[in-house]
Amino acid sequence: MGGRAQFWVGLGRGESVSREQGRAAGPLLLRLFSRVASLELASGAGPPASMRRDSRHRHWFAEGAAWVRRAADSPTTMRTFPCRRGPPAPPPLPLVLLCFLAAARPSLADGHAPALTFTSLPVQEEMLAKYSNISLESHNISLTVEKNITLQRPSNIELTCQFTTSGDVHSVNVTWKKGDELLENNYLINATGSILYTRYMFTIINSEQMGSYSCFFQEEKEQRGTFNFKVPELHGKNKPLITYVGDSTVLTCKCEECFPLNWTWYSSNESVQVPLDVQMKDKYVISGKHNETRLKIMHLSEEDQGSYWCHAIFQLGESEDHVELVVLSYLVPLKPFLAIAAEVVLLVTIILLCEMYFQKKKQPDDGKEFEQIEQLKSDDSNGIENNASRHRKNESVGQ
Amino acid sequence: MGSAGTLRHGVQTAGSLHTTSGDGPELQRPAAWAGLNRPQVSGLPESPWNSFCRVRDEQAALLAMGGAVVDEGPTGIKAPDGGWGWAVLLGCFAITGFSYAFPKAVSVFFKQLMHEFGIGYSDTAWISSILLAMLYGTGPLCSVCVNRFGCRPVMLVGGLLASLGMVAASFCQSVIQLYLTTGVLTGLGLALNFQPSLIMLNRYFSKRRPMANGLAAAGSPVFLCVLSPLGQVLQDQYGWRGGFLILGGLLLNCCVCAALMRPLEVPRAGAQAGAGLGPQRPAPRRLLDLSVFKDRGFLIYAAAASVMVLGLFVPPVFVVSYAKDLGVPDARAAFLLTVLGFVDIFARPAAGFITGLPTVRPYSVYLFSFAMFFNGITDLTGSTAGDYGGLVVFCIFFGISYGMVGALQFEVLMAVVGTSKFSSAIGLVLLLEAIAVLVGPPSGGKLLDATHVYQYVFILAGAEVLTASLVLALGNFFCIGRRPAADAEGPECPKPPADGRVDSREVERFLKAEPEKNGQVAHTPETSV
Repeated sequence: MGGRAQFWVGLGRGESVSREQGRAAGPLLLRLFSRVASLELASGAGPPASMRRDSRHRHWFAEGAAWVRRAADSPTTMRTFPCRRGPPAPPPLPLVLLCFLAAARPSLADGHAPALTFTSLPVQEEMLAKYSNISLESHNISLTVEKNITLQRPSNIELTCQFTTSGDVHSVNVTWKKGDELLENNYLINATGSILYTRYMFTIINSEQMGSYSCFFQEEKEQRGTFNFKVPELHGKNKPLITYVGDSTVLTCKCEECFPLNWTWYSSNESVQVPLDVQMKDKYVISGKHNETRLKIMHLSEEDQGSYWCHAIFQLGESEDHVELVVLSYLVPLKPFLAIAAEVVLLVTIILLCEMYFQKKKQPDDGKEFEQIEQLKSDDSNGIENNASRHRKNESVGQ
Repeated sequence: MGSAGTLRHGVQTAGSLHTTSGDGPELQRPAAWAGLNRPQVSGLPESPWNSFCRVRDEQAALLAMGGAVVDEGPTGIKAPDGGWGWAVLLGCFAITGFSYAFPKAVSVFFKQLMHEFGIGYSDTAWISSILLAMLYGTGPLCSVCVNRFGCRPVMLVGGLLASLGMVAASFCQSVIQLYLTTGVLTGLGLALNFQPSLIMLNRYFSKRRPMANGLAAAGSPVFLCVLSPLGQVLQDQYGWRGGFLILGGLLLNCCVCAALMRPLEVPRAGAQAGAGLGPQRPAPRRLLDLSVFKDRGFLIYAAAASVMVLGLFVPPVFVVSYAKDLGVPDARAAFLLTVLGFVDIFARPAAGFITGLPTVRPYSVYLFSFAMFFNGITDLTGSTAGDYGGLVVFCIFFGISYGMVGALQFEVLMAVVGTSKFSSAIGLVLLLEAIAVLVGPPSGGKLLDATHVYQYVFILAGAEVLTASLVLALGNFFCIGRRPAADAEGPECPKPPADGRVDSREVERFLKAEPEKNGQVAHTPETSV
């Protein structure tokens, strides 16, 4: 079927139906589509092989949709399906317009049946206008890898799984799941050589859509790749903050590179988190910029001791962090201080007492030395003998 | 006989005598006896003037060959070189440790202080700067106090001040109050404690002085290894306020060390005459002896020390961030400083021991110059280190050279100026170093901010230390060698009287000379001639 083995059946921008799903939806529809695709391929109408969204893709879809309509309306025309690309009979204009709009609307990742239903268009149009400025996030993994993705605000998501198969690409069964729930639509499958790609596209706008999305490739054994969506986490200090009674302190929660919509503070004693009474202006003051919040607590007392929790509120969820506050009284460090001071006083007293004691012991000897000096002065002739005796005496005293 | 040995035994205390006979140059009796007109055993009467001038000339001759002045206490008291000196050494060890390691221990608390007062890193760095400025810059003030009151009282007051500063800091409500208490008060207290301890160490040791200096200087790395983790533990347990309170208590131990500094006993008789022979005799004793500035050796030493201090403390400050810049994880980067400190602990006593060897001691100035040279070369080669292994090798060699410099810096100063002037000289040198200490590391930081290349900082530091080493070595080689032996001492060495006999009235003047104010209680002479 065509130069390249490309199987894809799709509806609308960003929506695609797997071959199996298409089979479930309607064999007629599917075969018609695939045949149209192959016809396009054969006639060299351009590379629908590209999985990029371009206007040709959309146009082709519109035409295909139109053909389906016509085929569905008149079963007999099936046999008269054109085998070559000639100028097709112009489909009825309003139908084409409707098909175009259907193709152009954004997809909703809620796993419902594919949107060949045109009845909900006005709502979808509104949503298109509302979400036209959300960003696109693309994430690409090869099996078996688990990727963690942090999201702050609603975005369009494109998840791609890549799987290298040893056997036949066609025999691999590809599924997507959110948590344990099987996802039914909105994914594409593509194969080049022996590498199989599958892509799942959807939009996250609230916290219910956050979670874990997995792609499964079933050969003999099931291989799996996972994307975990989380709101940004707060990483705070683990050490408790030590303060003293009567002091005031500031607790901060900071988020790197993320901008919560709002912050709230709770205090907890064991497990229950109680919101803080921020109306007490003389006790609690909350301030802060975008990515950090400060809680100032004044006139600390022992009851303020405990855990304080800060919650960062995003569009897509909440994350929290806690800070431990310890309030000590001044007596706590005073005890070691007094112990050290007592030890110092004791040592100084001992040293000075020892010194005075040894000095007293020496003092009687000083008197004797004084006597000898007098003797020397008075007695001239005893020079040598006095020298000797003084020398002996002084050697015993000195050192 | 070595002239150093002669010198030591040449001037005796009144308490002991040599009985060797027949050696002309040796004094047979203390100078006091000579003044009392007693015939000596050798028959040569020697007047006090003669003996003093001869002693000074011999010392100058020693200096001429770069020798160390092996000197006694200013009153002519022989240094014990042991005995109670070991207790004094222990006190000096602890005080050196507190003085050098304390700024580092306080810096452990900076993060919490930044959080508490909402200030930036540079504001907290001011605390360290003020502490260092007080420690170094109040040198002359300490010299004056020591010369006036003596060592032990000054040290006790210093210890109390330091402790009071930290206790007051624990109650602070603003950063300015922290600057005043932790910075000014504690810095002043530590300075008043540290300088006199060096003076006392010099008095108690002369033969073993290099070893004593090395051992005392080893207190700095040992206390650094102990106080930094202790500061961290205190912060985790008691917060910064409780931590400061307990650190204040620990500083009270400086008072214990001060109590150990027993003044050397002045023997009652005869010592006053020896005091009268001191170089202060011609002029009334000044509180700050600025005559050290006439000493060329001192000038060269002061110039070299100032330039050295510009670059000496820079590498340890930046090596950790250099390692982190190279991609080394935080714990391994911090380990570099541990290696440095550990090598430093052993390098200091080893350097002291080597300097104490009889063959090396006369050339201690050149050994100091070599230590600075080694440090500079280490810095220059360390700047080329590109990986963690290279930095570890750098830290090992830097630790060795840093230890040598640390052990020798005060030993060489003592050797250059001698004991009597040391109390004034150390104050002046520390004041000159204060300016360099406050300029050096911040300018390294500015250079780093401007170029973002760590190599330049190391090269600059190495160049500064190398310059200092060359200044010291060449200055000593050329200037001291050519100085006439008695030239500098001329005005202090008046011509001796024509006859050998000395008037008794002159002796009386000696005996009633100004009592020593060098940390010793002066005993009024009870003898009267």
